[in-house]
Amino acid sequence: MQQFLESIENSAFSTYVRETPAWPAYSTVLALHTFGMAFLVGLSGVIALRVLGVVPELPLKPLKKLMPMIILGFWVNAGTGVILTSLAIVSFSRNWDFYVKLSAIVVAIVALTKMRTYAFADESAPDDAPASPEARRWAKVMLFFWFIAVLGGRLTAYATNIRIQSAAAVAVAAILLLLLATYLVRRSHRSPSVEARV
Amino acid sequence: MEQFLRTWLEWPSVAAFIQRFTWAWPLGETFHFFGIIMLIGGVGMFDLRLLGLAKQMPVKAVRKLLPWGVTGFVICVATGLMFVTGTRANVPMSPYDVIKNNIWLQLKFVFIGLAGLNLLAFYVTGMDSAVDKLGPGENAPMLAKVIAAASLFLWLGVIYFGRLIPEGL
Repeated sequence: MQQFLESIENSAFSTYVRETPAWPAYSTVLALHTFGMAFLVGLSGVIALRVLGVVPELPLKPLKKLMPMIILGFWVNAGTGVILTSLAIVSFSRNWDFYVKLSAIVVAIVALTKMRTYAFADESAPDDAPASPEARRWAKVMLFFWFIAVLGGRLTAYATNIRIQSAAAVAVAAILLLLLATYLVRRSHRSPSVEARV
Repeated sequence: MEQFLRTWLEWPSVAAFIQRFTWAWPLGETFHFFGIIMLIGGVGMFDLRLLGLAKQMPVKAVRKLLPWGVTGFVICVATGLMFVTGTRANVPMSPYDVIKNNIWLQLKFVFIGLAGLNLLAFYVTGMDSAVDKLGPGENAPMLAKVIAAASLFLWLGVIYFGRLIPEGL
């Protein structure tokens, strides 16, 4: 097994991508990986925000049209991810953080599929109808596991003790920001009714 | 001027903080990425709607996502400032020298500036109010589409050059 992984890492293709710094190799593959992530997580996040009622003004059904862009983002990420993994597959195979990232991606994709199924199930539902509780549940699961996947991806390059400290710091900062965002969103949803009463 | 910039750009307290707390740099990196995701989810989504994707959505509703995009941009600027002012924690160079010599960082700044000018053009040309009237299924004016395409191109360029910065160090 070890020999097989080493043969991938030392292949002509992996060596070329790893040792050619900018265009068209390593940094470009890395940039494409970031583009894929931004579209996959960013646009599926938009659907989740609507499903969770954070942006209720967005009509639900047309959001289904984002799926091709989300799927494209996924495949760009998957392709570039395979290339980036092949560059250091031996060390990745011993890196527990890498497995956490991959597992989080799998769960997030399953949750995205489930959210899509439940959110767009009722074709006759009006555009401003709240999403079903199942869709909301899967939207939360998806956002949480995208958070883990992005965090895991950033931390793969660091030593284990730095990873653990950084994950804790990110979790604390994210919880604080989430509380602030919840407060601001609730306040912004409340203000129109206050204006209406005035 | 050079001396002023050298002094102003270098924050020893930030560099010392990053060196002392090893989680600070990865924390900044992670939030920089969250910021990128929010930027594309907010601004990118708005651009895609103007370009004709998910046309059944009224533009006024999609506009509600823009504060998320702006928040993402602010997060990226805040974490980016941390990377620049605390450069010396990772590289034995002053931030001024890094900015002066790193072509990718310079291109990133240029693209951010162009994205700002593009946004200004969106308001100055009246496209801002023109697209607000677009209902479900309606096409944006050609100029708005050009501005949206430029916006998407410029932001992706910003991400691209950002990823190339370590190559120039």
